[in-house]
Amino acid sequence: MNQKITVGIADMQIGKGNDVLITYALGSCIGLCFHDPVLKLGALLHIMLPLNMEPGRKNPLKYADSGIRETLRQLEMKGAQRSRITVKIAGGAKMFEVNGGSLGNIGQRNIESVHTILRRENVRLLGEQVGGSVARTLLFDVDSGQSCVRSFGKQDIVF
Amino acid sequence: MNLHSFDELTTLEIDTLREIGSIGTGNAATAMSTLLGREVRITLPEVRIMEYNEAIDWIGGPETVTAGVLVKMSGQMNGIMLAVQQLEFVNLVLNSMLDMTIENYGELNDLGKSALVEVGNIAISTFINALAGLSNISVDLTVPAFAVDMQGAILTVPMAEYGGMSDYLMTIGGNFVCDGKQVPCRVLLSPDIRSLNFLLKKLGVAE
Repeated sequence: MNQKITVGIADMQIGKGNDVLITYALGSCIGLCFHDPVLKLGALLHIMLPLNMEPGRKNPLKYADSGIRETLRQLEMKGAQRSRITVKIAGGAKMFEVNGGSLGNIGQRNIESVHTILRRENVRLLGEQVGGSVARTLLFDVDSGQSCVRSFGKQDIVF
Repeated sequence: MNLHSFDELTTLEIDTLREIGSIGTGNAATAMSTLLGREVRITLPEVRIMEYNEAIDWIGGPETVTAGVLVKMSGQMNGIMLAVQQLEFVNLVLNSMLDMTIENYGELNDLGKSALVEVGNIAISTFINALAGLSNISVDLTVPAFAVDMQGAILTVPMAEYGGMSDYLMTIGGNFVCDGKQVPCRVLLSPDIRSLNFLLKKLGVAE
C-alpha cells in the first residue's frame, strides 16, 4: 500500500520507497521533487518566493534559496548524496494578467531563482513543467522518481 | 506603534476592519442587487487572519475550480482585491443577466466571462469606494483581471505578493445572500502591512 503524503504551502516532506508525495494547486509557487534513486529517497518542497530577505528567517521553506538548501541538508542527513540527487520542478505560472503592475512576475522570478540555486548547489535539473498561466497539482512517486502534473481542463503530464 | 505582522492586530483594530468590511460588502451587495435585479444581501462579514494552508482549507480546498476577479490597488493604499466566484454564484449571475446556466467552468463562453468580470469589478469597486470615502483616502484601481482555475492557486496570488512581509494572510469579506439563499461569493481585501497601518491611523484606532 503506498502512502500519499500531502505537502502544504511553504512546506517540505520526505518520502521513502512506495510513498507518493503530493502538493496541490501550484500557481506562481514552485514544487520541487528531489530524488535519490539509489536510496529510493525523495522530498517534495513547495516554495512561494524567490529569495529569503526576511530578517529572522522564521520559515526557510517559504523561499527558493533557503528552502532548497534546507531540503538538501535534510536529505543528506538521511544518507543521500549530492552527486546522485536529481530535481524536477513544476509551477511558476502567472495566474492573472494585470496591466501596469509588477504583479504576476513572481512566477518567473521563482523559476529563475530555482534555476540559479540548483546550479550553485550542483544539483541536476532533470525536467520541468513551468510558466504559462495554469495552476498545477504535482504528484511525485518516490519509487520510480516519476512526477506528474494535473491541471484544470488539460491532460495529465508525466515527466 | 506600527504593526509588523497581521497577527499583532488588537481586538479594537479587528472590530474596525470588520466595520469596514461590513460597509464595503454592504455597498457591493446593493450594487449587485441593482445589476442582477434581485434582492442581494450579505452575511455578517468576517475579518480573518490565517496561516496559508489554513486559508486554503477555509476557501474550500485547493483543487476546486473557481473563477476569480482580481484588482490591484495603489495610491494611498496598496493591496489586492479578489472576488472568488464559486459555481453557484456564477450560475446566479449568468441566469439573471444572460438567461443561461452552466454545469462546469469548461462551458463558460466569452460573454459569460465578460459578465462575471463586470460583476466582480462592480463589487470590488463599490467596496473600495466605500472604504476610500469612509477613511478619506484616495485609491487607484487597475483594470480587472480574470482567471478560471484551481482556487488554491488563485488565493496564493495575494499571499505571494505580500508573503515577504508576513506568514499570514488577512482577508476582510463576506458571503452574499440572494433570494434568501446563501451563495458563496467572497470579496476579499488583502492590503499590505504598511497600508493597513496607514488605514488604521486614518480611522483613528492605531495605537
